[in-house]
Amino acid sequence: MNYYITTDEKLRELVRTLAEQKWNIISADKQGTRFMYINDGKDLTVDAKARPTKVSAKQFVFPKSEPLFFFKKEHDDLKLIDPQAVQQKTVLFGAKPCDAAGLPIMEKLFNWDYKDEFFNKRVENTVVIGMACDYTDEYCFCTSVGLAPDSEKGSDVFLVPGADNHYVVKEVTPKGAAFIAEFKAIFSEAAQGDIKAVSRTQPAPEKKFNVDEVKNWLDGHFESEYWSKAGETCLGCAQCAFVCPVCHCFDIVDENCAADCGRRVKNWDACQFGLFTKHASGHNPRETQPDRYRQRVSHKFKYYQDKFGETLCTGCGRCSRNCAVGIDIAEIVANIPM
Amino acid sequence: MEALQKIAKEALASKEAAFIIGYARVPGSQKTRPFIARDEAEAGQLVFDEYCQNNLAVYLTRIARPKEGKMGIVAKSCDVRAIVALLQENQIKRNEVYIIGVNCSGVVEDPAQPLSKENLAGKCNMCQAPQPAGTDTVVGEAKPYERADDKVGKLLAQLDSLSPQERFAFWEAEFEKCVKCYACRQACPLCYCEQCIADKSQPRWIESSASVRGNFAWNMIRAFHLAGRCIGCGECSRACPADIPLMLLNRKMGMIAMKEFNYRHGSNMDDPTLVGSYNNSDRNDFIM
Ligand code: SF4
Ligand code: SF4
Ligand code: SF4
Ligand code: SF4
Repeated sequence: MNYYITTDEKLRELVRTLAEQKWNIISADKQGTRFMYINDGKDLTVDAKARPTKVSAKQFVFPKSEPLFFFKKEHDDLKLIDPQAVQQKTVLFGAKPCDAAGLPIMEKLFNWDYKDEFFNKRVENTVVIGMACDYTDEYCFCTSVGLAPDSEKGSDVFLVPGADNHYVVKEVTPKGAAFIAEFKAIFSEAAQGDIKAVSRTQPAPEKKFNVDEVKNWLDGHFESEYWSKAGETCLGCAQCAFVCPVCHCFDIVDENCAADCGRRVKNWDACQFGLFTKHASGHNPRETQPDRYRQRVSHKFKYYQDKFGETLCTGCGRCSRNCAVGIDIAEIVANIPM
Repeated sequence: MEALQKIAKEALASKEAAFIIGYARVPGSQKTRPFIARDEAEAGQLVFDEYCQNNLAVYLTRIARPKEGKMGIVAKSCDVRAIVALLQENQIKRNEVYIIGVNCSGVVEDPAQPLSKENLAGKCNMCQAPQPAGTDTVVGEAKPYERADDKVGKLLAQLDSLSPQERFAFWEAEFEKCVKCYACRQACPLCYCEQCIADKSQPRWIESSASVRGNFAWNMIRAFHLAGRCIGCGECSRACPADIPLMLLNRKMGMIAMKEFNYRHGSNMDDPTLVGSYNNSDRNDFIM
């Protein structure tokens, strides 16, 4: 495993070089709302002390709305047209451990029975430059779900911020190594002395619960009084699912472009919507909001474990931080009457 | 706080109210959140102070109606306005709700910070009467508070001075951020339709795609459906994870209703609604 050194200024220079070479460059915006495409070194935001962006970075591998194909009526024929292939090389800057870890977690779902070529192609084309995190608030709980502020899961290259705008750079995957080799001018070889452990100024989030105990309880408590109170004030928006780095439900719909053409699109969907499980008959197996909230918790801490051996949560706290009615998933899980 | 809890306990004990929709403290924090008290012990958890941002009227149309007793609700004057709007729109009846009015001294914008002139919710800036009227009972005292800069008003004036093309570009950039989570709708006390037009699929009026077209359609239709109905509580804006300044639209709609029709929704439960009434002096020069 090789280590390098770089600086803030060098990373901005890297953005300029990448822009010239027509890479897609993704960075958090200045307000901390979301990740977005940038084209200029001055727009780069790499900030270990920043709060996780309100909306996660998942939309760059799993877009909020993605055309699968287009169709066009030609005389009596229907012509199918593939969308433009995803081939542009992409780099995601400054993903926190709780963002980067989302990619390998979602990868399991998108490669289970059907291999989602759209998702896979995007992941394949993206170099994730993760960054150790130096932020903690009452909503963070990465340490409760097997991650930590310095987890490299999902990163190809990992930055650890040091003094004076310097970063210790670690190559994590072969893809990351190739990226560093391609842009050697940005990353100088680190001497042994440079790689001292960099201390956090914030304490790591405290551990709030034990995922195995939670899973055990969930295994036997589909019907429990606990749910009716836990989900009682939930408004059933899907903000929590849409900002989440690992929620991955989608809906496939056809939309018209004009009278004789249209497209089939894959759109984000979420289990907190009443419509999500509503049958054509009108029957809804998850009739009340508490039923839907139970689904949210169970999918994250039980079903995904059952199926893929992973927790469907990175502990980023986004869902709770943003919830208009103050529902905190970590608190709800930690308060389970085990 | 004690007065509020006492009234809530009495209302529950006498079965006047089946439950009380109120605020409770988030453990270990000064923040509060909606809480539904169903017994005396739970009523003892109710609080009210400057950290109570939520407009609880949203629950009146979402919670299961009790078989016996009324829905109790703790309401600041701005929340009362939402309740009155729901009464005007026949969504609830006055004898179905037990309103515990709370005198208000302004609430915070950012609940992580204490109340100050800089950290005052936008709605409090616009508040005309911090003392609620027409409630079943009132508790607490309303202390005067310093009003802040009217940021929304300023931005609106700035937008109004732009050309339509420039304004369009502004909204295009804002709506692009929308993820179609519908948190704006779900948090809104006046968005109570059992089936929202955005959820209708036969035919599909509003594309479910969070694409520029779908996002424009959604945000514009929501603004239109709230025209003359929005009571300015700001919950949509607060709930939006994409930080879209939805209050600009709402405020503009409210200003038009006031200017053109001298109408302010949620002011008086006996007033007919703006779209549900007709006045001979209404403008009709747009009819060809
Ligand atoms: S938990 Fe909060 S964010 Fe999630 S659906 Fe319920 S109200 Fe919306
Ligand atoms: S469930 Fe909440 S805390 Fe967990 S990864 Fe999703 S947004 Fe983050
Ligand atoms: S549109 Fe927004 S500001 Fe207006 S009543 Fe609804 S939530 Fe409140
Ligand atoms: S809350 Fe914001 S992001 Fe969500 S649907 Fe409404 S405008 Fe779009």
